[in-house]
Amino acid sequence: MRTFFSFALPIFFFSAIGLSSNAATKPFPYPIEQHKMANGLNVVTVKFDSPGIASFFLVVRVGSRNEVEEGVTGFAHFFEHMMFRGTEKYDKDKYNEELKAIGASANANTSLDRTVYHMTGNAQKLEKLFELESDRFQNLHYPIHDFKTEAGAVKGEYTKNIASPFAQLEENIANTAFDAHTYKHTTMGFLKDIIDMPNQYEYSLKFFQRFYRPEYTTLLVVGDVTPEQVNKLAEKYFGKWERGNYEAKIPVEPEQKAARFTHLQNGSIPPYVSLNFKGPGFDDKGMDSPSLDILLTILFSQNSKLYQKLVLEEQKVRSINGGIYDTRDPNLISVDASIVNKNDMQYVKDEVMKAFEAVKANGVDEKMLAETKSRLKYSFAMGIDNPSSIANTLSHIIQLTGDPESINRLYENYEKVTVEDLKAVAKKYLTSEKLTIGTISADAEGGVK
Amino acid sequence: MKTLMLGILLFGSLLAQEVVELKLPNTNKVTIKLMFKNGSVCDPTGKEGLTYLTSALITQGGTGDLTYADIQNKIYPWAAGYSSSVDKEVSIFTFEVHQDFLNDFYPILKGLLLNPSFSQNDFDRVKRNQQNYVDQVIRASSDEEYSKKALEDFLFRGTKYQHMVQGKTESVKAITVDDVKNQYKNFFTKNNLMIGIAGNYPSAFLSTLKKDLQNLSAAIPVLPAQTEPKMQKGINVEIIQKENAFGSAIFGGFPMNLTRKDNDFAAMMVANSYLGEHRKSYGKLYQKLRETRSMNYGDYSYIEWYDNGGRNMLQPAGTPRTTNYFSFWIRPVQIAKQLKNQYKELEDINVGHAHYAIRLAVREIDNLVKNGMTKKDFEATRTFLRSYIKLYVQTPSSRLGYLMDSKFYGKKDYVIEMDKQLAKLSLADVSRAIKKYWQSANMCVTIVTDKSEAELLAKSLKENLVSPMSYSNIVKAGLPKEVLDEDDAVSNFKLNINEVKIINSADTFK
Repeated sequence: MRTFFSFALPIFFFSAIGLSSNAATKPFPYPIEQHKMANGLNVVTVKFDSPGIASFFLVVRVGSRNEVEEGVTGFAHFFEHMMFRGTEKYDKDKYNEELKAIGASANANTSLDRTVYHMTGNAQKLEKLFELESDRFQNLHYPIHDFKTEAGAVKGEYTKNIASPFAQLEENIANTAFDAHTYKHTTMGFLKDIIDMPNQYEYSLKFFQRFYRPEYTTLLVVGDVTPEQVNKLAEKYFGKWERGNYEAKIPVEPEQKAARFTHLQNGSIPPYVSLNFKGPGFDDKGMDSPSLDILLTILFSQNSKLYQKLVLEEQKVRSINGGIYDTRDPNLISVDASIVNKNDMQYVKDEVMKAFEAVKANGVDEKMLAETKSRLKYSFAMGIDNPSSIANTLSHIIQLTGDPESINRLYENYEKVTVEDLKAVAKKYLTSEKLTIGTISADAEGGVK
Repeated sequence: MKTLMLGILLFGSLLAQEVVELKLPNTNKVTIKLMFKNGSVCDPTGKEGLTYLTSALITQGGTGDLTYADIQNKIYPWAAGYSSSVDKEVSIFTFEVHQDFLNDFYPILKGLLLNPSFSQNDFDRVKRNQQNYVDQVIRASSDEEYSKKALEDFLFRGTKYQHMVQGKTESVKAITVDDVKNQYKNFFTKNNLMIGIAGNYPSAFLSTLKKDLQNLSAAIPVLPAQTEPKMQKGINVEIIQKENAFGSAIFGGFPMNLTRKDNDFAAMMVANSYLGEHRKSYGKLYQKLRETRSMNYGDYSYIEWYDNGGRNMLQPAGTPRTTNYFSFWIRPVQIAKQLKNQYKELEDINVGHAHYAIRLAVREIDNLVKNGMTKKDFEATRTFLRSYIKLYVQTPSSRLGYLMDSKFYGKKDYVIEMDKQLAKLSLADVSRAIKKYWQSANMCVTIVTDKSEAELLAKSLKENLVSPMSYSNIVKAGLPKEVLDEDDAVSNFKLNINEVKIINSADTFK
């Protein structure tokens, strides 16, 4: 459920189709048209050459991060399910019928910082999408029985996910690494709260009133549309949506002073080591986020010294990855390794720490830094080849800052990263006392220090 | 006889290289797909998994000139990527590179295909991961993927389609580097290759690619005869028990002599979409199991293989098959142990929701066979599909993949042709096709579940015991009468059970 970007976000670049002169100078190759409505709803349009096809996304900046009250973890995700349970105008069956008639690929998902409702389909049916979505965003109305019933589907989702030992470890790592901040629980929430969900009908009404508001939301349309058309429809259908006034007070996580440990005894998969350092929240203006993205790409790509030593030469490790959770508030920088022999778990941890120490002392090769910037650029250029992937890229950045233009700022910053920046973030974040070590093995204890 | 005919057909293709071109002047990327008609059906007995390992070693190993590490170092700044996938009847290599680096990248592509190093060191690493997949990953990481693979093993037992493409514990152990070299020589040849290319590439590039790939092995692959699975007698269930499973993950199905090649495919697409469109809330199975009763996360049905349904929302290309089956997917439902812990009012139950869920699914199939669809449902489902199938081909890679699959089935463009077929379809066509291809009396069912659940679930199924739906009080209180009435009918619905077996997880895929 957590959106985890191992290595950096895909990046920009110059190639590209139908550039306006304005956009040609920016990293993101398509013009981003923004229209802020009087009620606070931000409307974003990106015109893209996809004849007859458009993606329609509503990004609500509410996720499990906002679940500050006791006993309601997992509620943002549960609420996403409830958004499909109908309104007075379109009950759930009628809503389904209408959606089916549109023939779109439509769904929703929730993560730590946001809930996204997305559809990709026939651009000619755009007005119908506006009508349906504006109706449920303003007039959601579900029977209490439907509310109680839907909670079972959430438990079913938990049951499916938790079959994986990695999902169990992820839950344990979050719970161990955080004391105060709501990133302590995963987006699914704690099982005890999931079981209690059917009893929270009143809270669900409050939840809707608090968060399903224009100031929390960005409406994003990408594809065979024009900004004029999108803005006009937005005013027509979302113009009367009332602004709210709630803001969750998210607890600040105290500084971590010593390493923490969590272990899952499970011999059914190969031994596993997960090293999680307290990192920064996402920032499109400072240099920490882009520097960490670049550093982790350098250290854990398949051409890295560490990968080639541990995986290719010594063959002690099956796979190794490193990346940072892109989130609004400070979250974890994770390095995960699947290991051949459990006796090597400590060795792998030590090798990773040695690689970090080497960066702190000597930096990295300038050529490698330049090649990594190139890799990120081309990766992005090739990735945004359809409305849905463009909308996904923008919705990710919108969840972080609320502003799609952050994508340009971030990628301009990648270009500015220096070897000194990399040394600085390694010293600041990749230290033993900020670490939570998660392990899986057949033994009763993890044994990695 | 059949084998011989296939050999001749392939020989005939020597004269004309099969090429699918998709010129996209507005894209910056070039996508190349090389599809070999081989697949896991070409694995020798006792070496199951060999085709998969051969493909994996080509993409995860070095060439005569470059080690795997050298290749990674070279392609890193270009962000070029490549991978292989293997299904029952094809192996596909996909390469994606920005047009700026097409010429730099090409020698690597050529080296991988024409001059793979197959070094012992690369072999050990790649094989170890494959061994781990068949020994552990498939059993431990996703119970629903496990039950899906177990269903194929059950349906196709005794045929070349039975084993997972990754092979089996003993068979992977038995594979040597020489086996890989032989498989490469015999089954990755210029005579069973289809070339696909999409993007903004110069014509001269394609000419070079075509010419160079003539240097692949000249062997004529001898493919096994088409698999024709036997229809089961009655409903046969295999319950796979493991430690610490949280739910019961269910797949069921039966052989169906129908592929995209056949005229009835469009009719069955409509019927299947109505019964259980993948990851949509429109299907009957989803509406009854998840939406009305909230038994799990979703319930769907299929008339062809759907790769990685847990992740993919739209059907991916790359798994064309000549042998097919119908299946239904019931995502993990609750087991008694969990329900007892969670609700005081359920502390006396012995069996969780699996038996009820299977009954409901089979009864829905039965209803559809007996009663067909209404005109209104037919029209709505057809309208939906005519828009929806166009979303399968949104990226250059998926468009190219679908065109290549089309060619496999002897079609030019499946998505366009299917739209035309859907346009002229009638309700009578669908009703006739449902009766021809579907039934509810004979099938295989696999259930991956917790050890605590297996025995009493087996007894309940075997003896056709009444399986009342066990709701928590809070949900039960608000259920309308028609749902409770339907529960009664479902919990007493007689399944044509023939045999129910319990198998330990360690004993699956042997």
